Amino acid sequence: MVSAGVLQLWALAGLAAVLVAEGDYHLVIAPQSPVVEIGTNFTATCMIINTTEVTADDLFWKLSETTVPKEQYMKISRSALNVTVAIRNENSEWLYCTCEKQSHYFFLNKGKFIHGIWLRKGYRPEKPKNLSCIAVQEGTQISPSISCQWEAVGPQTEAVPTNYTLFVKKRTNDKIYSASKRGPTNSIQVDLEVFPHFDSLDIWVVAQNDLGKEESEHLIKYAQYFVKTNPPSDVEVISEAAFPTSLVVNWSHPIIKVYVDLIYQIRFRQLRSHIWTYVPLEDTSRYIESFRLQDLQPYTDYVTQVRCKCSVKDYGYWSDWSKNAIKRTPEDKPKSKPDLWKITTEGGINKRQIEFICKDPELSNGIIRRFNITIQIKKDKSKNGSWESIQVNRSVPDFNRIQEEVTRLKKIDLADEQSVYVIVTAINSVGASPWKVLIFDPKRNEPPVEKMEVRSHKGQLWLEWKPPNRTVSEYVVEWVSGGEIDWQRENGNSNGTVIKGDIKPFVCYNVSVYPIYSGRIGKPVHQQAYVEQGAPLQGPTVNLSGDPGRNSAVLVWEEIPLTARRGFITNYTIHWKNATGICVKTVPANTTSYTLTSLSHNTKYDIWINVSTVAGSYKGPNHSFTTLKYAPGEIEAIVVGASLGFLFIVLMTMLLCFYKKDVIKENFWPQIPNPGESTIGNWSPDYPLKAEAPRENCLSGISVLNVDMCDAKCVFDEDKASLPLKKDKYLSEEHSSGIGGSSCMSSPRQSVSDSDEGGDMADTTASTIQYSSVVAASSGYKGQNPSSLPQQSIFSRSESTQPLLDCEENQDTLVQETSRQCFQRQPCFTPNVGNESTTNGDGFNPLEMEQQEVLDFCPLEEDTEQTAPTECQSDEWISAPVSSYMPQLGGYRPQ
Amino acid sequence: MNGHVKNMHFQQFMESVATLLSLLLLMTVDSTKNVAASKNQHCGDDLQQTLKLTRLVHKESGDLIKTYKATQGEMSELFCKVSVNNIPDPNISGLEPPEKIASIYTHLQAFFPHFKRVYEQQIDLQSPQSPLLKDLTRLSIRSKSLAGLINKFYQRLFPNLPVPEPAGGPTTLPPAQNVFQQKVYGCVVLKTYKEFMSNVSKELRNLKSKVCRKRI
Repeated sequence: MVSAGVLQLWALAGLAAVLVAEGDYHLVIAPQSPVVEIGTNFTATCMIINTTEVTADDLFWKLSETTVPKEQYMKISRSALNVTVAIRNENSEWLYCTCEKQSHYFFLNKGKFIHGIWLRKGYRPEKPKNLSCIAVQEGTQISPSISCQWEAVGPQTEAVPTNYTLFVKKRTNDKIYSASKRGPTNSIQVDLEVFPHFDSLDIWVVAQNDLGKEESEHLIKYAQYFVKTNPPSDVEVISEAAFPTSLVVNWSHPIIKVYVDLIYQIRFRQLRSHIWTYVPLEDTSRYIESFRLQDLQPYTDYVTQVRCKCSVKDYGYWSDWSKNAIKRTPEDKPKSKPDLWKITTEGGINKRQIEFICKDPELSNGIIRRFNITIQIKKDKSKNGSWESIQVNRSVPDFNRIQEEVTRLKKIDLADEQSVYVIVTAINSVGASPWKVLIFDPKRNEPPVEKMEVRSHKGQLWLEWKPPNRTVSEYVVEWVSGGEIDWQRENGNSNGTVIKGDIKPFVCYNVSVYPIYSGRIGKPVHQQAYVEQGAPLQGPTVNLSGDPGRNSAVLVWEEIPLTARRGFITNYTIHWKNATGICVKTVPANTTSYTLTSLSHNTKYDIWINVSTVAGSYKGPNHSFTTLKYAPGEIEAIVVGASLGFLFIVLMTMLLCFYKKDVIKENFWPQIPNPGESTIGNWSPDYPLKAEAPRENCLSGISVLNVDMCDAKCVFDEDKASLPLKKDKYLSEEHSSGIGGSSCMSSPRQSVSDSDEGGDMADTTASTIQYSSVVAASSGYKGQNPSSLPQQSIFSRSESTQPLLDCEENQDTLVQETSRQCFQRQPCFTPNVGNESTTNGDGFNPLEMEQQEVLDFCPLEEDTEQTAPTECQSDEWISAPVSSYMPQLGGYRPQ
Repeated sequence: MNGHVKNMHFQQFMESVATLLSLLLLMTVDSTKNVAASKNQHCGDDLQQTLKLTRLVHKESGDLIKTYKATQGEMSELFCKVSVNNIPDPNISGLEPPEKIASIYTHLQAFFPHFKRVYEQQIDLQSPQSPLLKDLTRLSIRSKSLAGLINKFYQRLFPNLPVPEPAGGPTTLPPAQNVFQQKVYGCVVLKTYKEFMSNVSKELRNLKSKVCRKRI
């Protein structure tokens, strides 16, 4: 430590001397332009020179813009100050030494009291690992350049880059070749002038920067160790007709043996296959230029490739594979049976049509030229036993195709119960294949497989089934889609397989498994399957079945086409929407109609249906409809109901009229005695009216009242002033009211009513009462005759057009005033009869008289008033008969 | 009795010593055998590499002669049939393997100045891009590598023998020549070298069976 400190001081002294010579600085830092290692501590010394203005106590350090804390300082002497800073980040920065002093000299020479150094930060290089080199072929020789690469270890910074130098030393003459490259890199190429075949090379790489140097492990190998030649050239494959299962591969050495002694490797595959077969290396690891491939399939295209490497074990790199050399093996006669199958279609009642189809034998070993077929139908000897040759025109086989070509051999019609026995053989240019027998015998009812399942897995359809109890010779797996049929055969021991054909996604396949019992076709089991399901390509078009109702609508739609389904339909989702919201209903996949209920009347609805599979759904087109305002028949029901009601009312009215016609008649058309039939005509000339009328009136109606009121004189006295007005009132009253409508008619009505109520009495005394009533009503009736208006003194008594007798008119003229006043006053005054003692001598109450006048001249009050007086009157009349009727009878009798 | 007992003890002691010695001898022999096998392995590898490089140089010298003839213009065949003095002898001298190997080495060393002279002469006669110059350079480098290999092989086989030096002192180069003489000289040098390589190849094949097997 001491020696290090001394050395540092010596270095500072030397540096100070240099700086003194160069300029007039008062501060100087050592070391100058240091390279510092990240992750370490760096110590610098600031020294004061050529001045005594400042001391080490006045110095301080700054790292970039940050002042270094005093704790990291160490005062060496009065004029030297150390600082130690930790190097953490990768950014290079300035380290300043400066000071602060309040003096004129310092203020004037401030620039001399600062000094800085640039800290270049970096990492120490690390040892390169996994050095490997390669020398490739160039032309007919190995390139003199050797390329090496290694695994660069450790980080680098731009400020302190690492240089890599690759060294190659030829051990025969110790000559060293080298090449350098600035990092970051992990490969260098070095030129050796001539590739040093058979020379031993010592190769290593050195990583070096300002912070250190590291050397990789040495790679000491013979030069052949690094050689990678070109692939064998002119690879050619030759077929020989005499050897249909063999091909000869020839090639040329890429480089002559004196440079590199090579071994070879050969691989081959069938053109349609992607799996290479490698010839065992022990057969080809020699310096050879030819090899015979054996045990190949006849008439099959093979792709062959060759590669090479240095013969020394573990030396050199394998070359790239040579280009594809394709050659077809010669033809041979078919070694396997043709793949015979059938298509069955219904051909009518109890008939079926069978078409026999065939694929070339799997080992056709050539181009199939024709098929020979014989069909033996039971009970049809005409078709038995004869061979038929079916020529096929195969082009040169396309070995890239996956699906074999299907040949349609023959189509026959069979009855339901008929069985057929078919034999087929395939023939190529060399010979015929073994026979293939197929027996179609529906009567045998061969058992099917059980529990057949089809599932999709990794883009393929996998089948599993449980074999039937009988021994099965083989199975035929058939798949049909859109009229296209294909099949494959499986061993009789198998209980599952994967369909090897070209199965397309989103296509529905009807998969069937047929057990074959020694050529006899068993009953199939079918199942539909998709290898991959997708969202449907179209949605169902929804329509309404009929017209929409008031609250419901029946939706119908058709199943979307099979090609557009792309999967099994899981459900339909019905959407219907109006202005207030949207409703959704999911229905099963087998549904094609649905009734929407609880719809609002007179509302427009948009409907559509989403069809779904497991992979997605598709929205069908919209359809709009508007619900009815009224349900069908509702209007008719209302009209019929109203009509019925009206009819009922009419009927009831008619019935009422019919059954109550008397009452109505009496009410609306009161029976007016025909004066023409009256006997009064007989007696009017004989009796003086003027003399009799008042008396009769008084006797008949007011005989009781005669005590108080029937005196015409009192009436005249009382109403003399108001008589003209009263007469007017009568007239107006008579005009406003109809027949019987006037309050003045109350008396006659009352009379009629009385006569009704007292029917018996009326019967017995009808003429008398009516007569009496007529007399009473005459006073009111007279006012109804407009012609009588000017004749204020003359009162018409009846509305009847029946001519009145002169005597009656005269009589009425007299009776009118008296009788009316009497009848109206009668009820009011009736109590006075009983209260005779309590009334004054006149028996007349002016207040009551006024009230009576109001009753007479207020038609609006007539109804209300009419009742009370009537009741009042009726009470009078009920009680009256004893007092009034009897005199009336007495009055009549003289008539 | 006592004497008999003493004899018995002595006899047992001698038997033990003999057994121990036998064991030591066996161990020594075994280790020697291992060393010999190891050396033999190196011998075989080195000789094999030397032989392969010799064949390569031989082949390349033959190619070079073809290239040389192709680049020398008319009458190139004639150039190679003329004899020239002061060309190293293509024959390998010596009776024993060390001598033969030393002879190979010294002969190789003797050819290098001639190669250099031919190269210099052909620089004047060929364009700089002439393949002949590249091939001459390559042959020279390969020959030096071969010389280095043989030297290492020699030192490994015969570590106690001195490194062989050319017997006749420094190689004597021909005096200044005209172009015809240069062409003739170059061809003769290459032809002689090829012949020498052929001889080296034969000798190395012989040595392989003699040197490396003999030492096992």
